[in-house]
Amino acid sequence: GFDNWNVLIIVFTEMRDKLRKWREDNHRNSEQIVDVGEELINEHASKLGDDIWIIYEQVMIAALDCSRDDLAWTCLQELKRQFPGSQRVKRLAGMRLEALEKYEDASKQYDSILQDDPTNTAARKRKISILKAQGKSAEAIRELNEYLEQFVGDQEAWHELSELYINEHDYGKAAFCLEELMMTNPHNHLYCEQYAEVKYTQGGLENLELSRKYFAQALKLNNRNMRALFGLYMSASHIAACPKVNATVKKANVRYAAWATNQINRAYQVSHAMCCVLLKQ
Amino acid sequence: MDEPELLLDSNIRLWVVLPIVFITFLVGVIRHYVSILLQSDKKLTLEQVSDSQVLIRSRILRENGKYIPKQSFLMRKFYFNNQEDGFLKNTKRKVVPPSPMTDPSMLTDMMKGNVTNVLPMILIGGWINWTFSGFVTTKVPFPLTLRFKPMLQQGIELLSLDASWVSSASWYFLNVFGLRSMYSLILGQDNGADQSRIMQEQMSGAAMAMPADTNKAFKAEWEALELTDHQWALEGVEEELMSRELDLDGMFSQ
Repeated sequence: GFDNWNVLIIVFTEMRDKLRKWREDNHRNSEQIVDVGEELINEHASKLGDDIWIIYEQVMIAALDCSRDDLAWTCLQELKRQFPGSQRVKRLAGMRLEALEKYEDASKQYDSILQDDPTNTAARKRKISILKAQGKSAEAIRELNEYLEQFVGDQEAWHELSELYINEHDYGKAAFCLEELMMTNPHNHLYCEQYAEVKYTQGGLENLELSRKYFAQALKLNNRNMRALFGLYMSASHIAACPKVNATVKKANVRYAAWATNQINRAYQVSHAMCCVLLKQ
Repeated sequence: MDEPELLLDSNIRLWVVLPIVFITFLVGVIRHYVSILLQSDKKLTLEQVSDSQVLIRSRILRENGKYIPKQSFLMRKFYFNNQEDGFLKNTKRKVVPPSPMTDPSMLTDMMKGNVTNVLPMILIGGWINWTFSGFVTTKVPFPLTLRFKPMLQQGIELLSLDASWVSSASWYFLNVFGLRSMYSLILGQDNGADQSRIMQEQMSGAAMAMPADTNKAFKAEWEALELTDHQWALEGVEEELMSRELDLDGMFSQ
Protein backbone atom coordinates (compact mmCIF):
# COMPACT_ATOMS: atom_id res chain seq x y z
CA GLY A 1 0.00 0.00 0.00
CA PHE A 2 1.07 3.53 0.77
CA ASP A 3 4.05 2.41 2.84
CA ASN A 4 5.49 0.22 0.08
CA TRP A 5 5.33 3.06 -2.42
CA ASN A 6 7.01 5.35 0.09
CA VAL A 7 9.85 2.90 0.62
CA LEU A 8 10.67 2.69 -3.07
CA ILE A 9 11.51 6.35 -3.43
CA ILE A 10 13.64 6.63 -0.26
CA VAL A 11 17.38 6.80 -0.68
CA PHE A 12 19.77 4.14 0.62
CA THR A 13 21.05 6.15 3.60
CA GLU A 14 17.56 6.86 4.81
CA MET A 15 16.77 3.17 4.70
CA ARG A 16 19.82 2.31 6.68
CA ASP A 17 19.11 5.04 9.24
CA LYS A 18 15.54 3.87 9.62
CA LEU A 19 16.73 0.36 10.37
CA ARG A 20 19.16 1.72 12.91
CA LYS A 21 16.47 3.77 14.63
CA TRP A 22 14.12 0.78 14.80
CA ARG A 23 16.98 -1.31 16.19
CA GLU A 24 17.84 1.20 18.87
CA ASP A 25 14.22 1.81 19.87
CA ASN A 26 13.55 -1.94 19.86
CA HIS A 27 10.54 -1.55 17.56
CA ARG A 28 8.85 -4.73 16.52
CA ASN A 29 7.43 -3.47 13.23
CA SER A 30 8.53 -6.66 11.50
CA GLU A 31 6.77 -6.16 8.17
CA GLN A 32 8.39 -2.77 7.65
CA ILE A 33 11.77 -4.11 8.70
CA VAL A 34 11.45 -6.98 6.23
CA ASP A 35 10.47 -4.59 3.42
CA VAL A 36 13.28 -2.12 4.04
CA GLY A 37 15.85 -4.69 5.09
CA GLU A 38 15.30 -7.09 2.20
CA GLU A 39 15.76 -4.35 -0.34
CA LEU A 40 18.81 -3.03 1.47
CA ILE A 41 20.41 -6.47 1.54
CA ASN A 42 19.61 -7.36 -2.04
CA GLU A 43 20.40 -4.05 -3.72
CA HIS A 44 22.90 -2.27 -1.51
CA ALA A 45 24.87 -4.96 0.31
CA SER A 46 28.26 -3.64 -0.76
CA LYS A 47 27.61 -0.14 0.53
CA LEU A 48 26.73 -1.27 4.02
CA GLY A 49 30.18 -2.33 5.17
CA ASP A 50 30.30 -3.86 8.59
CA ASP A 51 26.78 -2.70 9.38
CA ILE A 52 25.50 -5.53 7.24
CA TRP A 53 25.94 -8.17 9.93
CA ILE A 54 23.76 -6.51 12.51
CA ILE A 55 21.24 -5.75 9.78
CA TYR A 56 21.20 -9.45 8.86
CA GLU A 57 20.36 -10.23 12.48
CA GLN A 58 17.64 -7.60 12.65
CA VAL A 59 16.08 -8.64 9.35
CA MET A 60 16.27 -12.31 10.24
CA ILE A 61 14.28 -11.87 13.42
CA ALA A 62 11.72 -9.74 11.56
CA ALA A 63 11.53 -12.37 8.82
CA LEU A 64 10.76 -15.04 11.43
CA ASP A 65 7.93 -12.84 12.67
CA CYS A 66 6.50 -12.63 9.15
CA SER A 67 6.97 -16.35 8.39
CA ARG A 68 9.52 -15.52 5.70
CA ASP A 69 11.70 -18.56 6.22
CA ASP A 70 13.46 -18.07 2.88
CA LEU A 71 14.75 -14.67 3.92
CA ALA A 72 15.57 -15.87 7.44
CA TRP A 73 17.55 -18.80 6.04
CA THR A 74 19.57 -16.51 3.75
CA CYS A 75 20.45 -14.19 6.61
CA LEU A 76 21.35 -17.10 8.85
CA GLN A 77 23.68 -18.61 6.25
CA GLU A 78 25.50 -15.32 5.78
CA LEU A 79 25.93 -14.92 9.51
CA LYS A 80 27.07 -18.52 9.97
CA ARG A 81 29.66 -18.04 7.26
CA GLN A 82 31.03 -14.87 8.81
CA PHE A 83 30.89 -15.90 12.46
CA PRO A 84 31.33 -19.66 12.69
CA GLY A 85 30.87 -21.03 16.18
CA SER A 86 29.35 -17.83 17.50
CA GLN A 87 26.84 -18.25 20.31
CA ARG A 88 24.85 -15.28 19.14
CA VAL A 89 24.40 -16.93 15.74
CA LYS A 90 23.52 -20.22 17.40
CA ARG A 91 20.77 -18.45 19.26
CA LEU A 92 19.40 -17.11 15.98
CA ALA A 93 19.46 -20.62 14.54
CA GLY A 94 17.50 -21.75 17.58
CA MET A 95 14.96 -18.98 17.05
CA ARG A 96 14.44 -20.11 13.49
CA LEU A 97 13.74 -23.64 14.71
CA GLU A 98 11.25 -22.18 17.15
CA ALA A 99 9.51 -20.30 14.35
CA LEU A 100 9.22 -23.60 12.48
CA GLU A 101 7.78 -25.10 15.68
CA LYS A 102 10.64 -27.62 15.93
CA TYR A 103 10.79 -27.09 19.66
CA GLU A 104 12.85 -30.18 20.52
CA ASP A 105 15.61 -29.20 18.10
CA ALA A 106 15.52 -25.60 19.26
CA SER A 107 15.81 -26.70 22.86
CA LYS A 108 18.84 -28.86 22.02
CA GLN A 109 20.42 -25.88 20.31
CA TYR A 110 20.02 -23.72 23.39
CA ASP A 111 21.29 -26.49 25.63
CA SER A 112 24.49 -26.63 23.63
CA ILE A 113 24.98 -22.90 24.10
CA LEU A 114 24.46 -23.27 27.83
CA GLN A 115 27.00 -26.07 28.01
CA ASP A 116 29.66 -23.73 26.69
CA ASP A 117 28.55 -20.74 28.71
CA PRO A 118 26.25 -21.32 31.69
CA THR A 119 25.84 -17.58 32.19
CA ASN A 120 24.27 -17.06 28.77
CA THR A 121 20.97 -15.42 29.60
CA ALA A 122 19.62 -15.27 26.03
CA ALA A 123 19.58 -19.06 25.65
CA ARG A 124 17.81 -19.56 28.98
CA LYS A 125 15.15 -17.03 28.08
CA ARG A 126 14.55 -18.67 24.71
CA LYS A 127 13.99 -22.00 26.45
CA ILE A 128 11.36 -20.36 28.61
CA SER A 129 9.73 -18.87 25.50
CA ILE A 130 9.51 -22.38 24.07
CA LEU A 131 7.58 -23.51 27.13
CA LYS A 132 5.28 -20.54 26.75
CA ALA A 133 4.72 -21.27 23.06
CA GLN A 134 3.86 -24.86 23.89
CA GLY A 135 1.26 -23.61 26.34
CA LYS A 136 3.08 -25.03 29.36
CA SER A 137 2.45 -21.94 31.47
CA ALA A 138 3.06 -23.51 34.86
CA GLU A 139 6.45 -24.82 33.77
CA ALA A 140 7.31 -21.54 32.09
CA ILE A 141 6.48 -19.68 35.30
CA ARG A 142 8.59 -22.06 37.35
CA GLU A 143 11.59 -21.81 35.02
CA LEU A 144 11.27 -18.05 34.84
CA ASN A 145 11.21 -17.83 38.63
CA GLU A 146 14.39 -19.89 38.81
CA TYR A 147 15.96 -17.69 36.18
CA LEU A 148 15.04 -14.55 38.08
CA GLU A 149 16.51 -15.94 41.28
CA GLN A 150 19.87 -15.81 39.58
CA PHE A 151 19.38 -12.78 37.38
CA VAL A 152 17.39 -10.54 39.63
CA GLY A 153 18.08 -7.47 37.51
CA ASP A 154 16.59 -8.68 34.23
CA GLN A 155 13.69 -6.31 33.64
CA GLU A 156 12.49 -7.98 30.49
CA ALA A 157 12.10 -11.19 32.50
CA TRP A 158 10.15 -9.48 35.29
CA HIS A 159 7.75 -8.05 32.73
CA GLU A 160 7.30 -11.40 31.04
CA LEU A 161 6.62 -13.02 34.42
CA SER A 162 4.03 -10.39 35.28
CA GLU A 163 2.22 -11.16 32.02
CA LEU A 164 2.33 -14.90 32.69
CA TYR A 165 0.89 -14.40 36.18
CA ILE A 166 -1.87 -12.13 34.86
CA ASN A 167 -2.83 -14.85 32.39
CA GLU A 168 -3.02 -17.29 35.25
CA HIS A 169 -5.07 -14.77 37.26
CA ASP A 170 -2.45 -14.77 40.01
CA TYR A 171 -2.71 -11.02 40.55
CA GLY A 172 -0.80 -10.86 43.81
CA LYS A 173 2.34 -12.24 42.22
CA ALA A 174 1.86 -10.13 39.11
CA ALA A 175 1.76 -7.08 41.36
CA PHE A 176 5.07 -8.12 42.91
CA CYS A 177 6.71 -8.27 39.49
CA LEU A 178 5.31 -4.89 38.52
CA GLU A 179 6.63 -3.42 41.76
CA GLU A 180 10.12 -4.52 40.74
CA LEU A 181 9.64 -2.75 37.42
CA MET A 182 8.30 0.39 39.06
CA MET A 183 11.35 0.60 41.26
CA THR A 184 13.81 0.22 38.41
CA ASN A 185 11.82 2.55 36.14
CA PRO A 186 10.15 5.08 38.41
CA HIS A 187 9.29 7.43 35.57
CA ASN A 188 7.60 4.88 33.33
CA HIS A 189 3.89 5.67 33.40
CA LEU A 190 2.94 2.36 31.78
CA TYR A 191 4.19 0.25 34.67
CA CYS A 192 2.25 2.43 37.14
CA GLU A 193 -0.87 2.05 35.01
CA GLN A 194 -0.50 -1.74 34.72
CA TYR A 195 0.06 -2.00 38.46
CA ALA A 196 -3.03 0.07 39.10
CA GLU A 197 -5.06 -2.19 36.80
CA VAL A 198 -3.87 -5.30 38.63
CA LYS A 199 -4.75 -3.76 41.98
CA TYR A 200 -8.19 -2.75 40.65
CA THR A 201 -8.78 -6.31 39.46
CA GLN A 202 -7.81 -7.72 42.82
CA GLY A 203 -10.54 -5.62 44.37
CA GLY A 204 -11.21 -4.78 47.99
CA LEU A 205 -11.07 -1.34 49.53
CA GLU A 206 -7.35 -1.25 50.22
CA ASN A 207 -6.47 -2.39 46.71
CA LEU A 208 -8.89 0.11 45.19
CA GLU A 209 -7.21 2.92 47.11
CA LEU A 210 -3.81 1.78 45.87
CA SER A 211 -5.18 1.48 42.37
CA ARG A 212 -6.50 5.02 42.45
CA LYS A 213 -3.16 6.30 43.70
CA TYR A 214 -1.21 4.56 40.97
CA PHE A 215 -3.60 5.65 38.25
CA ALA A 216 -3.03 9.18 39.51
CA GLN A 217 0.73 8.63 39.45
CA ALA A 218 0.61 7.30 35.89
CA LEU A 219 -1.42 10.34 34.89
CA LYS A 220 1.03 12.62 36.66
CA LEU A 221 3.92 11.05 34.74
CA ASN A 222 2.02 11.30 31.48
CA ASN A 223 -0.93 13.68 31.30
CA ARG A 224 -2.15 12.07 28.10
CA ASN A 225 -2.58 8.52 29.39
CA MET A 226 -6.32 8.17 28.82
CA ARG A 227 -6.48 4.69 30.25
CA ALA A 228 -5.09 5.98 33.51
CA LEU A 229 -7.61 8.82 33.46
CA PHE A 230 -10.52 6.42 33.04
CA GLY A 231 -8.96 4.16 35.65
CA LEU A 232 -8.78 7.07 38.07
CA TYR A 233 -12.44 7.84 37.47
CA MET A 234 -13.51 4.24 37.92
CA SER A 235 -11.50 3.51 41.05
CA ALA A 236 -12.59 6.78 42.69
CA SER A 237 -16.27 6.21 41.91
CA HIS A 238 -16.04 2.60 42.99
CA ILE A 239 -14.65 3.64 46.38
CA ALA A 240 -17.25 6.38 46.74
CA ALA A 241 -20.00 3.87 46.02
CA CYS A 242 -18.66 1.44 48.63
CA PRO A 243 -21.01 1.24 51.67
CA LYS A 244 -18.17 0.75 54.16
CA VAL A 245 -16.34 4.05 53.64
CA ASN A 246 -16.71 6.94 56.02
CA ALA A 247 -18.02 10.35 54.96
CA THR A 248 -14.70 12.11 54.49
CA VAL A 249 -13.26 9.40 52.28
CA LYS A 250 -16.46 9.30 50.28
CA LYS A 251 -16.41 13.07 49.82
CA ALA A 252 -12.77 13.03 48.70
CA ASN A 253 -13.36 10.27 46.17
CA VAL A 254 -16.45 11.97 44.78
CA ARG A 255 -14.28 15.02 44.21
CA TYR A 256 -11.61 12.94 42.48
CA ALA A 257 -14.20 11.32 40.23
CA ALA A 258 -15.67 14.70 39.36
CA TRP A 259 -12.28 16.08 38.43
CA ALA A 260 -11.58 13.03 36.29
CA THR A 261 -14.94 13.49 34.53
CA ASN A 262 -14.01 17.08 33.78
CA GLN A 263 -10.73 16.08 32.24
CA ILE A 264 -12.39 13.35 30.18
CA ASN A 265 -14.83 15.92 28.82
CA ARG A 266 -11.95 18.21 27.94
CA ALA A 267 -10.24 15.37 26.12
CA TYR A 268 -13.40 14.70 24.11
CA GLN A 269 -13.62 18.38 23.25
CA VAL A 270 -10.03 18.41 22.05
CA SER A 271 -10.63 15.36 19.90
CA HIS A 272 -13.88 16.84 18.58
CA ALA A 273 -12.05 20.02 17.63
CA MET A 274 -9.37 17.99 15.90
CA CYS A 275 -12.00 16.07 13.92
CA CYS A 276 -13.57 19.36 12.78
CA VAL A 277 -10.19 20.65 11.66
CA LEU A 278 -9.52 17.46 9.70
CA LEU A 279 -12.95 17.46 8.08
CA LYS A 280 -12.53 21.07 6.99
CA GLN A 281 -9.23 20.32 5.26
CA MET B 1 69.91 42.58 28.29
CA ASP B 2 68.06 40.73 25.58
CA GLU B 3 69.07 37.14 25.52
CA PRO B 4 69.86 36.18 21.92
CA GLU B 5 67.30 33.61 20.81
CA LEU B 6 68.81 30.37 19.71
CA LEU B 7 68.30 29.63 16.07
CA LEU B 8 67.95 25.91 15.47
CA ASP B 9 68.91 24.26 12.26
CA SER B 10 65.70 23.64 10.30
CA ASN B 11 66.95 20.15 9.62
CA ILE B 12 66.18 19.43 13.23
CA ARG B 13 62.56 20.17 12.57
CA LEU B 14 62.48 17.92 9.54
CA TRP B 15 64.52 15.01 10.78
CA VAL B 16 63.94 15.02 14.52
CA VAL B 17 60.72 16.67 15.60
CA LEU B 18 58.48 15.17 12.95
CA PRO B 19 59.94 11.64 13.04
CA ILE B 20 59.53 11.52 16.80
CA VAL B 21 55.87 12.48 16.48
CA PHE B 22 55.43 9.83 13.82
CA ILE B 23 57.18 7.15 15.83
CA THR B 24 55.20 7.88 18.96
CA PHE B 25 51.94 7.83 17.09
CA LEU B 26 52.67 4.60 15.24
CA VAL B 27 53.88 2.88 18.37
CA GLY B 28 50.65 3.92 20.07
CA VAL B 29 48.55 2.47 17.29
CA ILE B 30 50.55 -0.76 17.31
CA ARG B 31 50.12 -0.97 21.09
CA HIS B 32 46.38 -0.61 20.66
CA TYR B 33 46.14 -3.53 18.26
CA VAL B 34 48.51 -5.67 20.27
CA SER B 35 46.45 -5.11 23.38
CA ILE B 36 43.37 -6.23 21.46
CA LEU B 37 45.14 -9.41 20.38
CA LEU B 38 46.38 -10.17 23.86
CA GLN B 39 43.06 -9.44 25.52
CA SER B 40 41.98 -12.35 27.63
CA ASP B 41 38.28 -13.00 28.11
CA LYS B 42 37.34 -12.20 31.66
CA LYS B 43 34.81 -14.88 32.46
CA LEU B 44 32.67 -14.11 35.44
CA THR B 45 31.14 -16.98 37.30
CA LEU B 46 27.39 -17.31 37.56
CA GLU B 47 27.61 -16.54 41.25
CA GLN B 48 29.48 -13.28 40.68
CA VAL B 49 26.97 -12.09 38.10
CA SER B 50 24.09 -13.08 40.34
CA ASP B 51 25.58 -11.39 43.40
CA SER B 52 26.27 -8.15 41.61
CA GLN B 53 22.64 -8.03 40.46
CA VAL B 54 21.42 -8.71 44.00
CA LEU B 55 23.47 -5.79 45.24
CA ILE B 56 22.01 -3.57 42.56
CA ARG B 57 18.49 -4.64 43.52
CA SER B 58 19.14 -3.85 47.15
CA ARG B 59 20.44 -0.43 46.20
CA ILE B 60 17.42 0.24 44.02
CA LEU B 61 15.17 -0.80 46.89
CA ARG B 62 16.85 1.79 49.07
CA GLU B 63 16.71 4.55 46.47
CA ASN B 64 13.34 3.90 44.82
CA GLY B 65 11.48 1.95 47.44
CA LYS B 66 9.39 5.04 47.97
CA TYR B 67 7.55 4.36 44.71
CA ILE B 68 6.01 1.09 45.88
CA PRO B 69 3.50 0.65 48.68
CA LYS B 70 4.80 0.47 52.21
CA GLN B 71 3.88 -3.17 52.70
CA SER B 72 5.79 -4.21 49.63
CA PHE B 73 8.83 -2.27 50.70
CA LEU B 74 8.79 -3.81 54.17
CA MET B 75 8.38 -7.28 52.70
CA ARG B 76 11.47 -6.85 50.57
CA LYS B 77 13.47 -5.24 53.37
CA PHE B 78 12.56 -8.21 55.54
CA TYR B 79 13.72 -10.59 52.82
CA PHE B 80 17.10 -8.93 52.68
CA ASN B 81 17.76 -8.03 56.29
CA ASN B 82 15.89 -10.51 58.42
CA GLN B 83 17.88 -11.72 61.43
CA GLU B 84 17.43 -15.42 60.83
CA ASP B 85 17.45 -15.89 57.11
CA GLY B 86 17.84 -12.53 55.45
CA PHE B 87 19.77 -12.83 52.24
CA LEU B 88 22.29 -10.10 52.94
CA LYS B 89 22.77 -11.17 56.50
CA ASN B 90 23.28 -14.84 56.00
CA THR B 91 24.89 -15.39 52.65
CA LYS B 92 28.58 -15.93 52.92
CA ARG B 93 30.66 -16.29 49.80
CA LYS B 94 34.02 -18.00 49.65
CA VAL B 95 36.45 -15.17 49.47
CA VAL B 96 39.64 -15.65 47.49
CA PRO B 97 41.79 -12.54 47.62
CA PRO B 98 43.11 -12.00 44.10
CA SER B 99 46.75 -11.41 44.93
CA PRO B 100 49.18 -11.99 42.07
CA MET B 101 50.74 -14.96 43.78
CA THR B 102 47.68 -17.10 44.24
CA ASP B 103 45.70 -16.09 41.19
CA PRO B 104 47.53 -17.02 37.97
CA SER B 105 45.19 -15.13 35.66
CA MET B 106 45.83 -11.87 37.55
CA LEU B 107 49.53 -12.47 37.20
CA THR B 108 49.38 -12.89 33.44
CA ASP B 109 47.13 -9.85 33.16
CA MET B 110 49.62 -7.75 35.05
CA MET B 111 52.46 -9.03 32.93
CA LYS B 112 50.59 -8.29 29.74
CA GLY B 113 49.80 -4.81 31.01
CA ASN B 114 53.43 -4.15 31.72
CA VAL B 115 54.70 -5.58 28.47
CA THR B 116 52.35 -3.61 26.29
CA ASN B 117 52.69 -0.31 28.05
CA VAL B 118 55.72 0.29 30.18
CA LEU B 119 58.26 -1.72 28.26
CA PRO B 120 57.83 -0.08 24.84
CA MET B 121 57.87 3.34 26.45
CA ILE B 122 61.19 2.66 28.14
CA LEU B 123 62.74 0.99 25.12
CA ILE B 124 61.75 3.65 22.65
CA GLY B 125 62.54 6.45 25.04
CA GLY B 126 66.00 5.03 25.47
CA TRP B 127 66.50 4.51 21.75
CA ILE B 128 65.42 8.05 20.94
CA ASN B 129 67.70 9.37 23.61
CA TRP B 130 70.62 7.46 22.12
CA THR B 131 69.85 8.28 18.48
CA PHE B 132 68.87 11.89 18.76
CA SER B 133 71.35 12.98 21.38
CA GLY B 134 73.72 15.85 21.63
CA PHE B 135 71.45 18.64 20.41
CA VAL B 136 68.53 20.71 21.45
CA THR B 137 65.23 19.78 19.84
CA THR B 138 62.67 22.33 20.86
CA LYS B 139 61.73 24.97 23.37
CA VAL B 140 58.83 24.67 25.75
CA PRO B 141 56.74 27.86 25.77
CA PHE B 142 56.95 28.41 29.52
CA PRO B 143 60.01 29.15 31.65
CA LEU B 144 61.46 26.34 33.72
CA THR B 145 63.81 26.39 36.69
CA LEU B 146 67.32 25.07 36.61
CA ARG B 147 66.22 21.99 38.53
CA PHE B 148 64.73 20.61 35.34
CA LYS B 149 67.96 20.86 33.37
CA PRO B 150 69.47 17.45 34.09
CA MET B 151 66.12 15.80 33.44
CA LEU B 152 65.11 17.54 30.27
CA GLN B 153 68.47 18.23 28.72
CA GLN B 154 69.98 14.79 28.80
CA GLY B 155 73.17 14.73 26.82
CA ILE B 156 73.59 18.45 26.45
CA GLU B 157 76.34 19.69 28.73
CA LEU B 158 75.75 23.43 28.61
CA LEU B 159 75.49 25.15 31.95
CA SER B 160 74.27 28.43 30.59
CA LEU B 161 71.50 27.08 28.42
CA ASP B 162 68.00 28.13 29.40
CA ALA B 163 66.09 25.21 30.91
CA SER B 164 63.25 25.75 28.47
CA TRP B 165 65.32 24.23 25.69
CA VAL B 166 64.76 20.50 25.84
CA SER B 167 66.21 17.42 24.26
CA SER B 168 64.53 14.88 22.03
CA ALA B 169 63.77 12.48 24.88
CA SER B 170 61.59 15.09 26.54
CA TRP B 171 59.90 15.82 23.22
CA TYR B 172 59.14 12.11 23.01
CA PHE B 173 57.51 12.04 26.43
CA LEU B 174 55.58 15.18 25.62
CA ASN B 175 54.23 13.38 22.60
CA VAL B 176 53.25 10.26 24.50
CA PHE B 177 50.87 12.28 26.63
CA GLY B 178 49.92 14.83 24.04
CA LEU B 179 48.79 12.38 21.40
CA ARG B 180 46.14 10.94 23.70
CA SER B 181 43.37 13.01 22.13
CA MET B 182 44.57 12.05 18.68
CA TYR B 183 44.17 8.41 19.62
CA SER B 184 40.59 8.97 20.78
CA LEU B 185 39.89 10.66 17.48
CA ILE B 186 41.28 7.87 15.36
CA LEU B 187 40.90 4.73 17.40
CA GLY B 188 37.67 5.55 19.21
CA GLN B 189 37.19 6.07 22.91
CA ASP B 190 38.34 2.95 24.73
CA ASN B 191 41.61 2.42 22.98
CA GLY B 192 44.60 0.49 24.22
CA ALA B 193 47.04 3.18 23.27
CA ASP B 194 45.92 5.52 26.00
CA GLN B 195 48.96 5.51 28.29
CA SER B 196 47.80 7.94 30.92
CA ARG B 197 44.40 6.35 31.26
CA ILE B 198 46.03 3.01 31.90
CA MET B 199 48.32 4.50 34.50
CA GLN B 200 45.36 6.18 36.15
CA GLU B 201 43.59 2.86 36.31
CA GLN B 202 46.59 1.20 37.87
CA MET B 203 46.73 3.92 40.49
CA SER B 204 43.06 3.81 41.42
CA GLY B 205 43.77 0.16 42.02
CA ALA B 206 41.79 -2.90 41.28
CA ALA B 207 39.12 -1.52 43.61
CA MET B 208 36.58 -1.37 40.82
CA ALA B 209 35.34 -4.90 40.22
CA MET B 210 36.58 -6.71 43.29
CA PRO B 211 34.67 -9.96 43.48
CA ALA B 212 36.48 -10.88 46.68
CA ASP B 213 34.72 -8.06 48.48
CA THR B 214 31.29 -9.58 48.05
CA ASN B 215 30.92 -10.32 51.75
CA LYS B 216 31.91 -6.79 52.63
CA ALA B 217 29.56 -5.43 49.98
CA PHE B 218 26.70 -7.49 51.42
CA LYS B 219 27.43 -6.18 54.89
CA ALA B 220 27.54 -2.59 53.67
CA GLU B 221 24.22 -3.01 51.87
CA TRP B 222 22.67 -4.60 54.92
CA GLU B 223 23.63 -1.64 57.05
CA ALA B 224 22.44 0.87 54.51
CA LEU B 225 19.13 -0.93 54.09
CA GLU B 226 18.60 -1.13 57.86
CA LEU B 227 18.77 2.62 57.98
CA THR B 228 16.34 3.13 55.12
CA ASP B 229 12.79 4.13 55.89
CA HIS B 230 9.81 4.17 53.60
CA GLN B 231 8.63 7.63 52.59
CA TRP B 232 5.86 6.95 50.18
CA ALA B 233 6.15 9.20 47.19
CA LEU B 234 2.47 8.79 46.36
CA GLU B 235 1.14 10.19 49.61
CA GLY B 236 -0.40 13.31 48.10
CA VAL B 237 -0.39 12.33 44.45
CA GLU B 238 -4.07 13.10 43.81
CA GLU B 239 -3.77 16.63 45.17
CA GLU B 240 -0.60 17.23 43.17
CA LEU B 241 -2.25 15.90 40.05
CA MET B 242 -5.42 17.93 40.44
CA SER B 243 -3.65 21.18 41.23
CA ARG B 244 -3.75 21.96 37.53
CA GLU B 245 -5.59 20.93 34.40
CA LEU B 246 -4.20 18.06 32.36
CA ASP B 247 -1.91 19.04 29.54
CA LEU B 248 -3.66 17.51 26.55
CA ASP B 249 -1.56 19.19 23.87
CA GLY B 250 -0.62 17.04 20.97
CA MET B 251 -2.69 14.13 22.14
CA PHE B 252 -4.63 13.60 18.95
CA SER B 253 -2.03 14.70 16.46
CA GLN B 254 -1.26 12.46 13.49
